[in-house]
Amino acid sequence: MPRRRVFNPLTELLAAALLVVLVLVVNTWQFSLAVLVAAVVPGVLLSGKPRQIALAIAVTAGPLLLSSFLLHGLFFPEGTTVLAEWGPARVTAEGLQFAALTGLRLAVFTGVLLTAALTVSIPELVSTLTHRGWNRRLVFVVGSAVGLLPHVAERARRITRAQQARGLVVGGSVPSRVRGLLMVSVPLVTGLLIDAAERTQLLEARGFSSPGPRTSYLPDTDTAGQRTARWLLAAGVLGFACAWYAVGAGR
Amino acid sequence: MSSPLTLPATKAARPRTALVAVGAALIAATYLYLVLVQPAEIAEGIGGTSSLITLFGFLGGGALLVAGILPSLSTSSLVLMPLGIALNIAIGQTAGSLGLQIYLDAIGTVLVAVLAGPAAGAATGALSNAIWGLFNPLALPFAAGAALIGLLAGTAARYGMFRRVYLAPVAGLLVGAVGGLVAAPVAAFMFGAAGTVGTNALVAAFRAVGDSLLVAATKQGLTSDTIDKLVVFTLVALLAYALPRRSRAQFPFLRRYRVLAGRTGSATGR
Repeated sequence: MPRRRVFNPLTELLAAALLVVLVLVVNTWQFSLAVLVAAVVPGVLLSGKPRQIALAIAVTAGPLLLSSFLLHGLFFPEGTTVLAEWGPARVTAEGLQFAALTGLRLAVFTGVLLTAALTVSIPELVSTLTHRGWNRRLVFVVGSAVGLLPHVAERARRITRAQQARGLVVGGSVPSRVRGLLMVSVPLVTGLLIDAAERTQLLEARGFSSPGPRTSYLPDTDTAGQRTARWLLAAGVLGFACAWYAVGAGR
Repeated sequence: MSSPLTLPATKAARPRTALVAVGAALIAATYLYLVLVQPAEIAEGIGGTSSLITLFGFLGGGALLVAGILPSLSTSSLVLMPLGIALNIAIGQTAGSLGLQIYLDAIGTVLVAVLAGPAAGAATGALSNAIWGLFNPLALPFAAGAALIGLLAGTAARYGMFRRVYLAPVAGLLVGAVGGLVAAPVAAFMFGAAGTVGTNALVAAFRAVGDSLLVAATKQGLTSDTIDKLVVFTLVALLAYALPRRSRAQFPFLRRYRVLAGRTGSATGR
């Protein structure tokens, strides 16, 4: 099912960031769980590629959750309510609660940000930033870094295969691992640097460093309504945070 | 490099010192606040407040740094930055999923810092963690620490720590110690020191001895970061010396401060 895009990427990214802030402001495991169930799960299901995103979340958050529970569940010297004890390892109620708090928070962070990142259309985001008049150097660096990522991974894979065809053996003793790492990384970095040098000349020839306005070839998908909504959302979260802390301080 | 096809720039862009200074001050203030004020709070569960302050102080400071640095960079440095960012993320993600006790997520930052100078290195570090944060939220609040690593690596390169291959690990060790100290409160207050399986084993070991979370995270940071940066600086030094002369010749920073020993001065054949 292809995704039906409703909002501009900037709006979606901002909404994700604000959710993260809200989770930090409220800071209870109940609220984190509620956000997880009410926002992240529907978001993933409606994203158009739920399986891919769910897998990415599981791979990123799973080990974190597990190690967080092992770390704080077993080693929490501040805990007083001891549930079980083996040698230096003590399972305490406080430790488990602490692990649930940080673990759920991490799960929400991962879920919200990964869903936003994996559904965002980079060309659309870059064109929106250009239309909104963001610093074009920043837009170039961010856009081309994200575009380069899969390219770097693919290139590293190809170089590894080529070196293996020449007799590179991966694994074994430490010196041989280091040699293997260098045999892959030197051609990789050299190739990327030569590409970068060519790109410098191409960009210069197209007036990258000259001042003046820029034209984006892609149409602006942003709307005035969404711009207003973004400001309102940010102001709303800020107001909520202030109110929350005021109430918390009064208690 | 100026091109005959475009109008010459009207004025030479200088770094916006005020923005950089405010950014650096914000980061320093956040760090001091975390270390001096918060440790008492951690016993009864970490506060969302300290996490929020960490996030906004370090991310906001990093954003100001980048905003101050970007206008001053040449096109060749700017083109290098995405490359460094992509290398950081690609290698860091692999190291994390292998469960190593070190991160290896600063190779791109240090490479950019050595080739293009401390300013470009700092901007690369901050931006790469900000972008990586979209795929791996753990990386996001470490943006300020990564910027510091880039800055220090560039400074070390400028003062000749990469002229001898055996000096690079020494510089890495020092930079890593500073980086570990800066990263520890972030790890403790944002994530309860959760990291990869490898780093968590270290934290658990220190916790088992009875250390507080911040102390355990600091000891883990000092252990992991020094070894990590030692490896990274050595790798980058080896990489830089293995680069063909044509690739090195495009970076004025290398020539001006004679960053690498010997032959970088001339672009003619051997």
